[in-house]
Amino acid sequence: MHNAIEVELFGIPRSRAGVAKTTAQGERLGEVLGDLEARFPGLAESCIEGGQLKPGYVCNVGGQRFVTDPQLPLAAGDVVLLLSADAGG
Amino acid sequence: MSNTPGYHGSYLRIDLSAGTMTNVPLAAETLRNFLGGVGLGTYLLLAEGVAEHDALAAEAPLIYVFSPLVGSPLTTSAKFAVVSKSPLTERINDSLASSAFAIAGKKCGCDAIVVVGRAAAPSVAVIEDDQLRIEPAGDVWGLSSRATEDALRERLGGDYQIASIGPAGERQVHYATISHDGRHAGRGGSGAVMGAKQLKAIAVRGTRRVAWHDSKALIALSKDLSQRSFGPATAKYRELGTASNLLTFNRLGTLPTRNFQQATFEHAAAISPEQLTATREKTRASCAACTIGCEHIYAFGGSGASSDGLLQKDAGVRLEYENLFALGSLCGVSDPDQVLAASRRCDELGLDTISAGGTIAFAAECVERGLLDVPWLVFGDGDAVLRALDEIVAGTPLGQQLALGSRRLAEQIGHDAIDFAPQVKGLEIPGYEPRTLQTMALGFAVGTRGADHNRSSAYEVDFSEAVDRRDVQPHEARLAVDIENRAALLDSLVLCKFLRRALEDFYGEAAEMLQAVTGWDITAAELEATAARIVAAKKLFNIRAGWRPEEDTLPRRFLEQPLPDDEQTTLGAERLAQLVTAYNSARGWTSEGWIEPVQQASLGLSEL
Ligand code: SF4
Repeated sequence: MHNAIEVELFGIPRSRAGVAKTTAQGERLGEVLGDLEARFPGLAESCIEGGQLKPGYVCNVGGQRFVTDPQLPLAAGDVVLLLSADAGG
Repeated sequence: MSNTPGYHGSYLRIDLSAGTMTNVPLAAETLRNFLGGVGLGTYLLLAEGVAEHDALAAEAPLIYVFSPLVGSPLTTSAKFAVVSKSPLTERINDSLASSAFAIAGKKCGCDAIVVVGRAAAPSVAVIEDDQLRIEPAGDVWGLSSRATEDALRERLGGDYQIASIGPAGERQVHYATISHDGRHAGRGGSGAVMGAKQLKAIAVRGTRRVAWHDSKALIALSKDLSQRSFGPATAKYRELGTASNLLTFNRLGTLPTRNFQQATFEHAAAISPEQLTATREKTRASCAACTIGCEHIYAFGGSGASSDGLLQKDAGVRLEYENLFALGSLCGVSDPDQVLAASRRCDELGLDTISAGGTIAFAAECVERGLLDVPWLVFGDGDAVLRALDEIVAGTPLGQQLALGSRRLAEQIGHDAIDFAPQVKGLEIPGYEPRTLQTMALGFAVGTRGADHNRSSAYEVDFSEAVDRRDVQPHEARLAVDIENRAALLDSLVLCKFLRRALEDFYGEAAEMLQAVTGWDITAAELEATAARIVAAKKLFNIRAGWRPEEDTLPRRFLEQPLPDDEQTTLGAERLAQLVTAYNSARGWTSEGWIEPVQQASLGLSEL
């Protein structure tokens, strides 16, 4: 049984997926990303490939640390943010 | 004519008091050591030898600097730096703008234009190739930059490129901008320096081109870079613009709100670009010679007009993250029309939005605390922000206080106001909350022009896996040095920072570009050393201008007061001091931040 992980999307990932929030399945970051990739063709085209983030994108768990490692374990209740890596303004 | 391709090998030095212009040669070694833009501008500022003079004194130089890449087909290279002493900070100020002014200025046959002295009356400096004439500016005094450009083009001919100040620069508001074609050299008050010289505008037109060392290689590099600039590394800027930071920063607890009393804004969604795009038309534009095009211009029908008719009712509003934060969440304003109106008003008046918003937000908190008796100036009231902007430029008693920036306003108010004035060295803090972005906090503290995200770029470290942004440790200060060096190189080449993620081998690719342009046999390692030299040269200017180690810190609010919804996160004076010490050590300076003669020599700065 996979964890249900809440995912929030910002910037380009949000505009590519067409949603601000969704729920994805997975026990590791790579599985969650793979689930998103399978369900959102826009994300597969731009942000995620083979369950890994493409360059220019980053995840954040719970608004705390930034992560990219597909092997990162996730627990039920974790919230994953998917965003553009460049924060320049 | 220079022997170094890409350069003219000289600069024009205008003395407005005497009405003269001279052509001054630049040594090939100087060009290689300082490149152009911010680097060359810092060298020229130091070489003028007047660091201790008041920023608005006649002797204080105002320097427009081009670069070896200007005029090349490399994307985003049409940039110029404006370097001077800042009236806000009394330290170095280096601001950048992108426009055809850079290309036309370089075609006057120079690598920089140094302006000293003061005109006897409001004037326009008209430069055609290496000839100067000073024309009266009485008819355009009081006009916005845009209207000034239009009027002067009509008078001089359409092919002049014109950089000018708006009413804020004329009034010497300490955070006035210099503008060309809607782009601003924005931070630190270079517009006030220009206004103090009674120089309304500088118009340039020229015919002199530089040679490129290896045109074929340069074209190949340019094509490749342009191709990459269409890719994913810049998608955010192309498709959404910097304003898309707003909701991300809000979610991460890094969106400064109500004068940094909070780092999340409950009305962020209302002023977000996502919401603005849903309710109004948007067009995209780009700076000259840019293939990215990060400018997003929103249709705006609201009047926002001041009584003198400065504003055009139907003009769109260019919206950046920094306008949105400074005139929105920082002032607690949730009405998008009011944020757009304030943004447009800053644009037309020639005000730096970050310092304008920061000073107004600070004043609003002073009102809230009973330290300032201005009952109408309250958080959340967009009309109050517009009124304050108008008063700043009208020069009312309150406006005169606000025109000095938050640090001087705090000094006038007294009590504990300086503890929550949102500034470092006098420059207002941009839209990056220092308590939850602690590498950025270090970057603000040590920044030579004060609290500035662009020259430091340390937020890039915080938004990565490299650190825990809420608990950055001294051994990680090295990362702030590395990223600041890269920014110094970009600002001296000059290339747009939004291109940086498209550069896979940053120093190596920069070396290739310079090889193709100049013919120098330059390496990535040499460019790393050059970047460190440029940062040190800026510090050297500050030392000569009176810098003291105690300046390299943050206001007490950020060191002692946790954020209401993130109480576990603290920075603290002791850890910030440790970070600053580690930063200084990583630079090879003394632990306090002084540059010893031996270090100056090893950086190649002895002659300065
Ligand atoms: S990316 Fe934006 S700021 Fe940079 S040069 Fe292009 S339009 Fe100008």
